[in-house]
Amino acid sequence: MTTTPRPMALLAELTYRCPLHCLYCSNPLQLARYRREIDTATWQRVLGEASQLGVVQVHFSGGEPLMRRDLVELVQTARKLDLYSNLSTSGMTATAELLSQLREAGLDALQVSLLDSDGASNDWLADVPSFDKKVEAVRLARELDFPITLNVVLHRHNLDRIEEIIDLAVAWQVDKLELAHVQYTGWAFRNRAALLPRRDQVESAAKIVAHATERFSDRLQILHVLPDYFQEYPKACLNGWGRTFLTIAPDGAVLPCQAAREIPQLTFPTVLEKSLEQIWFEDPVFQRFRGFDWMPEPCQSCERREVDFGGCRCQAFLLTGDPAVTDPVCRLSPNHELVELALAEAAQSTANVVFRTFNN
Amino acid sequence: MKNNAKPLQRPRLARGVRYRWDEVRSQHQLLYPEGLLVLNESGAAIVKLCDGRALEEIKQSLTMSFPQAELTEDPKFTEDVEEFLGRLMQRGLVCHDDNA
Repeated sequence: MTTTPRPMALLAELTYRCPLHCLYCSNPLQLARYRREIDTATWQRVLGEASQLGVVQVHFSGGEPLMRRDLVELVQTARKLDLYSNLSTSGMTATAELLSQLREAGLDALQVSLLDSDGASNDWLADVPSFDKKVEAVRLARELDFPITLNVVLHRHNLDRIEEIIDLAVAWQVDKLELAHVQYTGWAFRNRAALLPRRDQVESAAKIVAHATERFSDRLQILHVLPDYFQEYPKACLNGWGRTFLTIAPDGAVLPCQAAREIPQLTFPTVLEKSLEQIWFEDPVFQRFRGFDWMPEPCQSCERREVDFGGCRCQAFLLTGDPAVTDPVCRLSPNHELVELALAEAAQSTANVVFRTFNN
Repeated sequence: MKNNAKPLQRPRLARGVRYRWDEVRSQHQLLYPEGLLVLNESGAAIVKLCDGRALEEIKQSLTMSFPQAELTEDPKFTEDVEEFLGRLMQRGLVCHDDNA
């Protein structure tokens, strides 16, 4: 394909290790299979390759990226390459010293996760006391003049506190609040029945968010990502497979999407064997769902195919067992009933939650 | 204040916003957390001057960069620069210099 676009953004998942045990962890199942982590020199080489390939933004994430001892060094490398660097953290191990080292190294922006505005609920959802540490991390980041995005993942257990969550973001003086509903992949799929909200919850929260977005427009930017299970059409996952985005997992596997690891039909290349350029342009995994030729009906002849690119491949696999079908979230999908069924089940569910650990 | 209608006196790039020349795409870019805006030549020239200096000074410097337009005497030029900065301000990419 001669017209393959170059990637804009790299998600650098430095480690799957994390002090939190979130119910909706986006990392893949069976983490124990991926314990090996690539070393500093390899990450530095890969950041260079990413820059040459056209990557503009690098997003350091995990797991908890602060658990990598070479994080400051990697941020320095990104800065030298003139990459814009973001860091996504739980804030758990964010000391004043570490944050100021990162600032010094040239880190551009910080995202701190918050599980709920209610401290007890936050700590329950993370299965570890963490609320106070997040308060402190945001305060320290503010002192260092970082641009801060507060990330709150939404679901049944915190959606009714949406107003308090927004008020808290205003009080903490963050620049941006990202309110994204759980994506039901990774560990979140495991807890789906316990996490899916009710439709009336989703609707009333959306009204509150719309109102607050207007009301606080002079001081807080709010990004609201609606839950795709309740939408008519699927999300434009990644803006298309292998189109603008790539992920490197802690062990060096290169993935079109961080959730793609769960698709057993795919074998992923690694940075230990090939250059990023070879992988992006030539590897079968990146070709597999790139463009429009792979699409089945109803996507193939659908006018929305350039809007949503057939939706999420990981979701198609998780719901139907086949990653190459239309995302069942789409009302035009022959498998759409699977989504309706999941919503109906969740509405009656008193399912027990299972917390994430590094061993599951 | 992002939606402030007051004319910009000393515009500067907001926190976390930075200009970058993209070698791979031969492109001027304005980067911010999780986003990017592609700039044309004049946009890039304006943005590079947004360091807290006075708007008048920015216009003067631009005249030197683009002398063919005989700009400072042309009211449309002033409007264009201010409109461009106003749009960036609305998106939260440019703000007033607090220390001005």
